[in-house]
Amino acid sequence: MTTTPRPHGGSASPGSLRERARRAIEEQPSTTVTVLSSLLAAQDELGYLPYEAVDEVSLCTGSSVNEVWAVASFYPNFRFTAPARHLVEVCWGPTCHVLGAQPILQGLVSHLGLDGEGDTEDGSISLKYNTCLGVCPHAPAMSFDHELAGHMSLDEAVTRVEGIRAADMERES
Amino acid sequence: MADEITITIDGQEVTTTPGKMVVQAANDAGIYIPYLCYHPGMKPYGACRMCVVEIEGQRGTPASCTLPVRDGMVVNTKGDEAVKVRDTTLDLLLSEHPHGCLTCHRIDLCGPQDICLRHVDVVDRCVTCPKNERCELKDTTRFHPQELVSPLTYQYRNLQVETKDPFYDRDYNLCIVCARCTRACDELRGDVAIGMTERAGQVLVGTVMGDSLLESGCEFCGACIDVCPVGALTETAYKWERPARTEQSICAECPVGCTMTYEVNHWERVVRAVPELNAPANMGQACFKGKFGFEYVNDKRRLRKPLVRRNGELQEATWEEAIAAAAEGLAPHRGSAFAMMANPRNTNEELYAAQKFARTVMGSNAVDVASNDRPGIVEGLQDVFGYFAGTMTIWELADSAAVMVVSANLTEEQNVIGVPIKRAVRAGTQQLIVVDSREVELTRYASIWLRPYPGTDPVLLGGLLRCIVDNGLADMDFVNERAEGWDELVASLGPFTLDAVAAETGVPAERIEQAARVYAEAGPAALLFGGDNSVGGTRRTMSRLVAALAVVTGNVGRLGAGVLPLYQGANGQGAWDMGLWPAAVPGHNLIHGSPEARETLGSLWGAPVPLEDGSGNRHMFDRTREGGIKAMLMLGDHVHYEDGTLGDVLGGLDALEFLVATSAFSSEITERAHVVFPAETWAEKTGTYTNVERRVQPLRKVAKNKRVDSRSDLDVVCAIAGAMGAQGFSWDGPPQVLEEIAQVVPEYAGISWERLLRERLDIVTTPTNEPQPTQVAYTGNVLTGLQWPCAPEGASDEPALFVDRFRNGKATLQPVAWHPRPEVDPQFPLMLAHGRVLLEPGRKPNVTVVGKRNRVQREERFVLNPADAAAAKLGEGDAVAATTPDGTERRGTVALSDAVPPGVVSLTTLFGELAVEVDSSDRPDPMNHIARLNAAPVRIAAAGRSTGGA
Repeated sequence: MTTTPRPHGGSASPGSLRERARRAIEEQPSTTVTVLSSLLAAQDELGYLPYEAVDEVSLCTGSSVNEVWAVASFYPNFRFTAPARHLVEVCWGPTCHVLGAQPILQGLVSHLGLDGEGDTEDGSISLKYNTCLGVCPHAPAMSFDHELAGHMSLDEAVTRVEGIRAADMERES
Repeated sequence: MADEITITIDGQEVTTTPGKMVVQAANDAGIYIPYLCYHPGMKPYGACRMCVVEIEGQRGTPASCTLPVRDGMVVNTKGDEAVKVRDTTLDLLLSEHPHGCLTCHRIDLCGPQDICLRHVDVVDRCVTCPKNERCELKDTTRFHPQELVSPLTYQYRNLQVETKDPFYDRDYNLCIVCARCTRACDELRGDVAIGMTERAGQVLVGTVMGDSLLESGCEFCGACIDVCPVGALTETAYKWERPARTEQSICAECPVGCTMTYEVNHWERVVRAVPELNAPANMGQACFKGKFGFEYVNDKRRLRKPLVRRNGELQEATWEEAIAAAAEGLAPHRGSAFAMMANPRNTNEELYAAQKFARTVMGSNAVDVASNDRPGIVEGLQDVFGYFAGTMTIWELADSAAVMVVSANLTEEQNVIGVPIKRAVRAGTQQLIVVDSREVELTRYASIWLRPYPGTDPVLLGGLLRCIVDNGLADMDFVNERAEGWDELVASLGPFTLDAVAAETGVPAERIEQAARVYAEAGPAALLFGGDNSVGGTRRTMSRLVAALAVVTGNVGRLGAGVLPLYQGANGQGAWDMGLWPAAVPGHNLIHGSPEARETLGSLWGAPVPLEDGSGNRHMFDRTREGGIKAMLMLGDHVHYEDGTLGDVLGGLDALEFLVATSAFSSEITERAHVVFPAETWAEKTGTYTNVERRVQPLRKVAKNKRVDSRSDLDVVCAIAGAMGAQGFSWDGPPQVLEEIAQVVPEYAGISWERLLRERLDIVTTPTNEPQPTQVAYTGNVLTGLQWPCAPEGASDEPALFVDRFRNGKATLQPVAWHPRPEVDPQFPLMLAHGRVLLEPGRKPNVTVVGKRNRVQREERFVLNPADAAAAKLGEGDAVAATTPDGTERRGTVALSDAVPPGVVSLTTLFGELAVEVDSSDRPDPMNHIARLNAAPVRIAAAGRSTGGA
């Protein structure tokens, strides 16, 4: 929108979301800096786009925050709430589907108290559906924090999820 | 004309001009093509596909709003294919808009309480929609009846209606996603406070993360409401009121003089204001004041009857009794013991009569208008150019290659003037220089922002001028031919060396030079100045410098170049024109400077113009306390006495022996008066206002508050004059006064009421029984007013003054004085530069809900130069308290920045705070009491903890 640099030099304390977002946007490798490339850079750094990141993108690209939001909200790949600590993906590709992905999915969803994809209330698990994890010979497949696991059953899945949670609790205490 | 082409629409030959879109050409010819996303005030967009047509020799059905006309084009608007596309489009639109009524054959018969055989929910009915009968979607479905297979099913979005923001209600359940509002906000206003969110089927209008408008950077100008075709965006006040009739008049909130169409309901209440799309002063734009600030005319608290003080108490009286009492009370105080204070919402006719009364009947030159607290900003212009007035028009600013705005909070106080500037800056055709120690909205758009120490603007302007002279940037041909006094001016610029100016103002020398080059070399350059940060007494120097800068660079009298003074008050220009000023008589003639004009006036009036000096409004109240002025007549209740600019007004009034006040409301002033008349507001008056571009515009009676037995100030002044036995006040209404003005004021020659009603822009539109955006439906003919000096009737308007000659032939450049920084009180060593912006990037405001309304809250941040902070032993993030001499204390945290000059504390509040304050105010006329942002001395000290913000 305007060409004026930030009026007060912008004070963002080191390590804050704003400062991390700003650094990621300023240091992005792409040769053509756009609203979209800046949003991607910020999300890569923070795992999601808080208001501070949207605001920083607007400052760096000279757009209004609402314009940046128009772009950010268009893409389902951007998320605006902090992700959970662990990512659990269930493959529902054709092979996994045929070999029993649905009961695992539904079982996990109800076990975690979710309506579908999403984050658990305690912020420990993000459950996502994956269209294909690429390990069809090991169907039904899952991934726990990007670590693949094959020939899954619902029991096995619940055990692994609870294991992750227990490890989390231990670390905290 | 050579550039006319002919196209055929539905078998009818239509002559049009290249560059127009087919839909425009058709509308101009009275042929209706349905449209929903197209709006004549905006660029073609082509989103809704309702305006599709068939073109002979072309495949498919192009949208006529994005299809430029071509010679010989044959357009068929009613072809089967096009109609089918439209039907489908409308069907899809209705699948997400409550349409139980839209598709019902009883649509024109139902009332709100009727039992509906279709069982349409009460909230989904057209009769319960705020835009009922002003809805373009409803009109379009009437035009294009739908035969839906299952007419009652639609996807209701079930969204919360946003009603917590000031002034606006937003119901996105009714939105048809035409993007008119987002385009208006972006394209017309340059704010982008709203945008399109999500994608595909979920697409809707919204703000960042669904925030309230207070957090999104909204300036509450209402442009999005004005273009919304459905009930999605509405004004909160009088939301459900339907207009019984409309009337075009002029907004009374600031000197822009926007032409508005006012909607009036059956009870004679003004319920809505819609800016006029084709008005020359505002081009379809308005601001929060004009759009939402008219409610006070309907207020129940209006004064209803004249009041006369008997035995120390104000008691109701008849008009005759009150007039007699006023005449009797004023009679003993003739001569300099009398003073007249008018208000900036008075019409030219009232102002003229008021000063004539003071001068001929009372024999006093103590006449002034309450808003004229900074006469210096036009005195200097008169010194150089000959008139107390600016030289250019508002929308010329779109053609300026460079614009310099000096110490003016333009986007708040004269909002619409900012619109062409913001548009041109965004389009990249204009460089904006802002000279202001405060951070205001325009500093965001500036390519050069100079931040002088408060009060040193005249020094900085002198530095710019000397820089232009020294670097050979002056237009010497123009100066030699058109101006005198060059040598004296140059000699007086001696002290203004670049280094001295840089040291005095705190602005780096290279920035001064850069700004001087841009202003002198960019092309046509405009200079707008308000003098907000200047100290009294230096403004005359400032305006002389402004005029000199324009003359020296040849920036007068050509398109896009000139100067505009930014004062307050709707009819401030009219007051100067009418001589409502101690030093001058009507026609921009100084009493002591032009004896011939004085003589002529005296003989016309049948009474000599008094010669004794009168007090202006800044000294009037001191004089009453000293006993010099014993009686006053105050017109209107719009003296800004709260902000202290006029000194101790109430103390001054207490000292009076006799006070007559006309007022719409009871106030501290009426409490002190001996006779009070219930005054008419602008909405009840007929007359003229003169705006900042010297456009005399007709004010037409909009409505009459039926509870109130009010009369205009013109009637009051004339009645008192009559009761005192004076001649020359027996006009038969304002048009006759204007006739006399046209004789007395040479600049108004040729202006008459009848001619003002004839000078209009007739816009050919399709018949009104076909759907139209409200702004277009109201636009049948626009009274354009007349700019003075006015060309003979029939001639084309000449907008720029001084094209060939100045008033006295040549411009008289004036030597300028060096005004050093105001002295600093050691108790309050720093200057607080209090700015206001829509949104501050990098700082998220918070919104809390108080009662049912949103309030914006944010911790204050005092930005200091690192040197000042070090001296005060303050560091980044420290909690501090800032105290001004009047004892107000603000708390916040410290931030450091080199951009702030030493000695200055910069503070930025959000426009949202002002919007909330004005919206929730209990005052009958809150817009009028918005305090100006002035620099103030301040003391900063560490505070225990910060309590500001959330």
